Amino acid sequence: MKFLNNYSNRELNMWARLTLDILVSVYFISKTSPLIINYQFYSNELMRDALVPTILTTVVIAIIYSIIVFGTINTLTKREEKDERDYIYELKSYKISNNIYQISNYLIISVIIFNVLYQEKFGELTPQKIAIILFIIVLLSSTGKSLTQLFNYRKNI
Amino acid sequence: MKKQKIKNQIRRLRFDANEMTQAELAEKASVTRQTIIALEAQKYSPSLELAFRIVKVFDVPLEDAFQYN
Repeated sequence: MKFLNNYSNRELNMWARLTLDILVSVYFISKTSPLIINYQFYSNELMRDALVPTILTTVVIAIIYSIIVFGTINTLTKREEKDERDYIYELKSYKISNNIYQISNYLIISVIIFNVLYQEKFGELTPQKIAIILFIIVLLSSTGKSLTQLFNYRKNI
Repeated sequence: MKKQKIKNQIRRLRFDANEMTQAELAEKASVTRQTIIALEAQKYSPSLELAFRIVKVFDVPLEDAFQYN
């Protein structure tokens, strides 16, 4: 645990947050991408039955990880108050996250309209399928936020 | 990388103040040590409030610690 002393509490929290985002994104995307790609094999009921346990497992993984990792970091290292530099980098990262979220949403809306106009070229866009895509967008924007925050933090020290 | 226009003499001022450590200055100026590291490396321009807090620690005029290029 000596290596923890080489990093500030803030930086360790950022690394932990980024790891959590990547972990959850990889798990969720790996579990749900077959539901979108092989949509013709899944009825709406089958998709719902596969989606609910995946979402629940993702939430449970995130909670257990947060309790163990963030608990360990904040117990073993001295907690730091945020200063102006932290707030600036946080704002920059929220901007990136918001951009990812907005662009992705515009893309989804475009796909839905395109699908209606061109006789469901992407297959039937069911509410379940759109929900999965929206979840993935949220996870990716959160990962983008963590990555930007850590990048800015590391870049200037 | 964006070049900072505000230069500072914090490292020298720390040295003159009985070799004050970065951690001590950080605590007195109510910021993290990482912010002091970034300031000394001329990679971060502080807010006006932080600049005033830092010069108050060293008891010097603002222009002795910070210069605009």
